[in-house]
Amino acid sequence: MTLDANGNGSGESAPLDASPPTPTDEFVGQWRDAAYNCFSSGHKFCREVCPVTQVTRNDTWTPTAFHANVVAMDKGELDIADIAEDYVNCTQCGACELRCPNTLFTGDFYRFRTRTVDLVKSVRTLAVDSGIHQPKWQRWNELTDQRTHEPVLGDQPVGQDKVRDWADGLGIPIGGDDILFVDCEAAFYRTSVSRAVAQLLQMAGHEFGLMEEQWCCGGPAAEMGYRDQAMRFARHNLDNWKASGAKRILVLDPHDYITFTEDYPRYFGAEFDLEVVLVIELFAQYIREGKLTPHVPIERTITYHDPCRLNKRKGVWKEPREILRSIPGLVFNDVDRVTQWAYCSGGGGGLPIEKPELTRLISASRLEKAKEQAVDTLVSACPWSERPLAEAGTAHGIDVVDLHELLAESLGIIVGGQRGAQ
Amino acid sequence: MTAYQYDRENTPPRAIKVTDGAITRFDHVYEVAPELMQENITQQSFPNWDTLRIVHSRAAYLAWMHSHWAGKIVSGEELLREVIAEQVFASGDI
Amino acid sequence: MIDPLPQTTVDAVVQALLRVLPPDEVLTSKTDRMNRARVPAPFPVHRWGERVPDLVVLPRSSAGVAHAVKVANDFKIPIVPRDGGTGLTDGAMPERRGIVLDLKRLNEIHEIDLENRTATVGVGINMLKLNEVLSPYGLIYPDDPASYPCSLIGGRIGTSGWSLIGSRYGHSRDLVLSFEMVTPTGEIIFIGDGGGQKVSKSSSGFQLKHLFMGHQGTLGIATRATLKLHPKPEAEFSAFWAFSDFDTAYKTVGALARAGIATFGGAVLFDEWKVEYLRRDDEAYIPQPSSVRALVCAAAYGNEDETRAGGKRMMGIVHRLGGRYLGDEISQGDWAARHDRYATPLHGRTLNGQAALMGWHCEDAAINYTNLPAVRIAWHEIIERLRRKHDLFDDWGMFSYTSGNTGVDYLTEIDVGIWEQHLKEESWLAFVDAKREIAAVALAHGGSISACHGSCREGEVDLVPQELGGGYDVMLAIKKVMDPNNIMNPGKYGLDRAYA
Repeated sequence: MTLDANGNGSGESAPLDASPPTPTDEFVGQWRDAAYNCFSSGHKFCREVCPVTQVTRNDTWTPTAFHANVVAMDKGELDIADIAEDYVNCTQCGACELRCPNTLFTGDFYRFRTRTVDLVKSVRTLAVDSGIHQPKWQRWNELTDQRTHEPVLGDQPVGQDKVRDWADGLGIPIGGDDILFVDCEAAFYRTSVSRAVAQLLQMAGHEFGLMEEQWCCGGPAAEMGYRDQAMRFARHNLDNWKASGAKRILVLDPHDYITFTEDYPRYFGAEFDLEVVLVIELFAQYIREGKLTPHVPIERTITYHDPCRLNKRKGVWKEPREILRSIPGLVFNDVDRVTQWAYCSGGGGGLPIEKPELTRLISASRLEKAKEQAVDTLVSACPWSERPLAEAGTAHGIDVVDLHELLAESLGIIVGGQRGAQ
Repeated sequence: MTAYQYDRENTPPRAIKVTDGAITRFDHVYEVAPELMQENITQQSFPNWDTLRIVHSRAAYLAWMHSHWAGKIVSGEELLREVIAEQVFASGDI
Repeated sequence: MIDPLPQTTVDAVVQALLRVLPPDEVLTSKTDRMNRARVPAPFPVHRWGERVPDLVVLPRSSAGVAHAVKVANDFKIPIVPRDGGTGLTDGAMPERRGIVLDLKRLNEIHEIDLENRTATVGVGINMLKLNEVLSPYGLIYPDDPASYPCSLIGGRIGTSGWSLIGSRYGHSRDLVLSFEMVTPTGEIIFIGDGGGQKVSKSSSGFQLKHLFMGHQGTLGIATRATLKLHPKPEAEFSAFWAFSDFDTAYKTVGALARAGIATFGGAVLFDEWKVEYLRRDDEAYIPQPSSVRALVCAAAYGNEDETRAGGKRMMGIVHRLGGRYLGDEISQGDWAARHDRYATPLHGRTLNGQAALMGWHCEDAAINYTNLPAVRIAWHEIIERLRRKHDLFDDWGMFSYTSGNTGVDYLTEIDVGIWEQHLKEESWLAFVDAKREIAAVALAHGGSISACHGSCREGEVDLVPQELGGGYDVMLAIKKVMDPNNIMNPGKYGLDRAYA
């Protein structure tokens, strides 16, 4: 089974006199029109905003090539074995599909936009379903399947018995109307983020609990092409929420936010009737309402890294800036959100697992941009970006901090936890 | 703060016909008349947040492109008012 | 159809290349090759496989380019330079297969000279990205094609590009001061006005810069260029006016172009077909009354006081001629959208009005002002005939853009939608015939086949000898001297004739 290009599955049916369609036939049937929509315009406006293209300058790995390959498959010139490896080279940041004139200028008009991220996921799924695996992704997803969480600590075990360790001492109940979902990176690696978020919610008087048995959201598996596994994980989480009577899922990680607002609705349709709330939007509201008032000055000169999945893929850019401007003491050298369509940490889409050398080049490039702003701190709001950015920041003497950590500090909260592996 | 909720996002506002080729659902946002997307290509499923994301991003991009090229924009409306005022003045109508 | 090189030859070429280039600069996979076989212009998709190169080189330096060219010359196999691959005349398409030499990794900024106002860059850099770097210095490189967010400096040199605001700042030929170039035999030479890298006007020697710009990669490969920089404009003025008839709009664009306004960036005339096309999707035009039948837009750039004065003079001219200003929101929005709204496949319509995914073909010619109306009528008739014959084509209307600041000539384009998904050989050849007819109309009216893209695609290329007369023989002679083995982008512009 592949993702569908129309968001609701309207692939072409097989001719009556033909043998049953192969997975490749189904894939091409679903993506043919979307591919021609790119191929026949050929703008290539995607190229200079693509983080992978910016560091490799290789046209083979451009979003427009990813579409053209489907046309070539339709013409019998290429097959999945020819193309699978190329589609590793994508962080699924969404810059290409937003900058594409077929989205930005006419996507809303025609209700037909460029969907490169879905296409990449779909090709990766077709590859996996065809028995073509990228070795590190295969191993990663095997371990995730075994442990119900991503192996974000390498050989150090992660698992169900440790998924709530980050919350030690915070007295958070299990269950309730509002469930705080903590992604694997923040649950095991950068636990300071989840601790900051939980304590901010508590300070604002927002009642919430944790899941009884939280599994990985399944988003990364879907991003790497292991869709059946992703759906299995999603089903577990949805059933668990429903069983506990949850009404609302509070999300701190932009990747989870995408999974819950795009993947889960595709998997479950109207059955997925819970509300999904991004806590960064909640905190901006609480500051506006006076429920949270940052007062401890933070003497840092910062710039803000717009996480791709917030800014490009969801259009969330205002609230993070609102929060940062409410923190006393900060000197905020901002770079506008449109310029940042071309920025990325390199941390998404499984790229750091399969091609860490590309992630390093992308995050180094992002830190070069931060350096131009003469800052001592780069603030992000995405745990998955913070590992590669922090590694790149060391070279420039630039500290990488999560926005929630910073906000908590300005509210006098002793966050605790850790900002990396112990 | 707007929470995501499936039904809310997948129920678009009522369509109003604008021309033979266009309708509108959101204020100042046009869409193709859906009957033109029947034979050769069909529309995608489009949650409301996505339409609005694109509309807002387009506005942001257009503003960005102006500032990319120049420090400020001269208003044509302002210049036209000056032109008309001077014309009226010259014609002695005031 | 040219067969691929035998695998033994490909292997030998790869071995030779790997002796002078690192492994990650030599690419051989199917996707590496197929994705460097086309440009955005509509394309005979059914014949894609005929144009796939045998291998790709992606070098990081001028020396790497020279090494690759020498290998091609030793093996006497084609080598085709490709930069952005955004051109519309197939210049970067490997018509005879061989090696595609992709220049995108040459994207360094080597120097920004703040005193002399120049930048020296690798040709793989994009103008928008360069201007992001120049902006903090208060400088800009104002070469502004429709492909501004994606085209690269090397392609601007290879096609001698045209800029939307060329009436104010000049076109690529005026803005590129000099460049380093690898010849078809692999030597690295310097091309500029005289011998200075940063000289804008010299009378020393032959003026080679013009010759080595716009040859579509048939005479050499530019690798590094020195560019003229301008102050980033303090202010921008852009205006769109509506007219109830084409003739008044035509008269107005002429009056604007002839007005001698120093900050005048350019003016554009939209005809009735173009207005109808815009009504299909553009939020600015959907609500306009049916009395709107033609449009004119104009832009000005410069210091704020001068831009205001120029803008006001333009407003006065158009007001007197009866144009209706469409307001700041539409004017500013549409001008900022100038790179984005020209090539949207879903704007295609079949004869029954249904949307269809059509590719954008832009046939552009250089036409004098007085001949614009006649060319317009003849071109629309050609496309209407084509459309009636094959319901795969659509008339997307015409623009006429000022090329300079006196109003002498206009880049005049007719935009044609082409449903590539269903192209067959017969419909493709009908399209090629139409292109030839369009070019013939341009020549019959004293114009040039292309103001902007070049003229080496099927159809129009047949008429280039007619356009250039004795000058075409000079082209043949130069080609043979520069490229004795006919390896540099062979097949383009009919230059094979030099070797007959």
